[in-house]
Amino acid sequence: MKQITIILSIVIGLFAFAQADAQSKKGRDTYEVQVDGLGCPFCAYGLEKKFKEFKGIKDIAIDIETGDFSFSYPADKPLSLEQVLTQVEKAGYTPNEAKISRADGEIVTTKTAGKLLNTDLATSKLYVNGMCGMCKARIEKAAGTVDGVASALWDVDTKMLTVSFDATQTDEKAIEKAAAAVGHDTKGVTASDKAYDNLHPCCKYEREI
Amino acid sequence: MKYIITVVCVVFAFAKAIAQGPPITADKPIMLGGGSFTIKTLTEIRNTERGTIVYTPIMLHYLPTNNILVALHIPYTTYNLRDVDGSGLADMKIMGKYQFYRKDGTGKTFRMVAKTLQTLPTGREIDVMDISTGKYTGYYGVVAGLETLKYGISGEIGYNEMPDGTLDEFRAKLGFGLPLLKPQYPNKQLNLYFEYNSVWLHERDWYQLLYSQGVQYALKNITFDLAVQLPLVQEIDADRALNYSVFLGTRYTF
Repeated sequence: MKQITIILSIVIGLFAFAQADAQSKKGRDTYEVQVDGLGCPFCAYGLEKKFKEFKGIKDIAIDIETGDFSFSYPADKPLSLEQVLTQVEKAGYTPNEAKISRADGEIVTTKTAGKLLNTDLATSKLYVNGMCGMCKARIEKAAGTVDGVASALWDVDTKMLTVSFDATQTDEKAIEKAAAAVGHDTKGVTASDKAYDNLHPCCKYEREI
Repeated sequence: MKYIITVVCVVFAFAKAIAQGPPITADKPIMLGGGSFTIKTLTEIRNTERGTIVYTPIMLHYLPTNNILVALHIPYTTYNLRDVDGSGLADMKIMGKYQFYRKDGTGKTFRMVAKTLQTLPTGREIDVMDISTGKYTGYYGVVAGLETLKYGISGEIGYNEMPDGTLDEFRAKLGFGLPLLKPQYPNKQLNLYFEYNSVWLHERDWYQLLYSQGVQYALKNITFDLAVQLPLVQEIDADRALNYSVFLGTRYTF
């Protein structure tokens, strides 16, 4: 009987903990920013330290190879995209694309924040050659800088870049050219040898001749 | 020779991929976010033909914004020289830096800062360069650095002016940093440093080219530094020549 009571207590405790954890995550917005200039782990510390000025920040994660920075923040005191980007600047680094996933399901990105002319977006899947997480950051950044591109997501395994874009402003060829300009071959556009040679050693994918 | 080549190859083989921390005897142009403080010390044990000097500064660095740094160095020194010995406060220093150029990329950054170092005559007049001269000096220079996930390079060039003395000098520094461990955040790194320091005191017609070999253990916001500095070229009075310097330090950012 004593054992059953202990087991029941543990199960109830775990259930309560899981529920509390789920609730705490439910009430938080998630922020993701791609940051340039993180040349060393100390730089990442400077970034984290600056964001700790936002009381209530949690789940901070920084990938120094890709510059991907993410954190969560209470949904009842939401931060704007501008606040997040300004804070990156104040830390001494350069923010690129940013995305906020609000607890209520709303998604705000640097693109949806006002740069697009057309809200009826086209979606395409493009083959872009690459190898690793650094390639992912580079490809997504290059595609994201094309005017009219709302989002860009590259899959390391399939090498497919999924892009949403405003077809009145850009097209697939322009996005492929942007990827090729930073050293990544696509189905339609081959990167120059110079751009390929400039890639980090770990990003030197096998070129299809 | 074979041993040296092997060691160098091993070092470069391990170091080809990743990142590093702040240099030890050279300076850096990267500033760690506005509103942060760093407290550090870098004890130097300098052995010369004239005797031995131990120099222990407490350095307080503050960044009011992401591109401005102000610092105060309060040093204590103990010296046992041929002509004089004792201990006490050495020359205090006030430093200012302003970052005027920044170019960021994914996993890399290039920055340039203007730097001034004002040395106050709070030490005894024992003519120990950079430590205790008892005379005011003003240094003006530029620091530039490229920090990438593969390596770090920093350089500095400047002029140190001593209106009431003969230690006016042209100064140049060049440092290379190489990591030995995979990059990760929070940090856990072991870094190697290769640093060159060139000093030309034109009024005395002295010239020194020094080489420092350093190693650094770095955690999230604290580092432990060790370096040995040796002269490569030394055209100064024989009784003032440097034999070696040993640097031991730590820094903590909050």
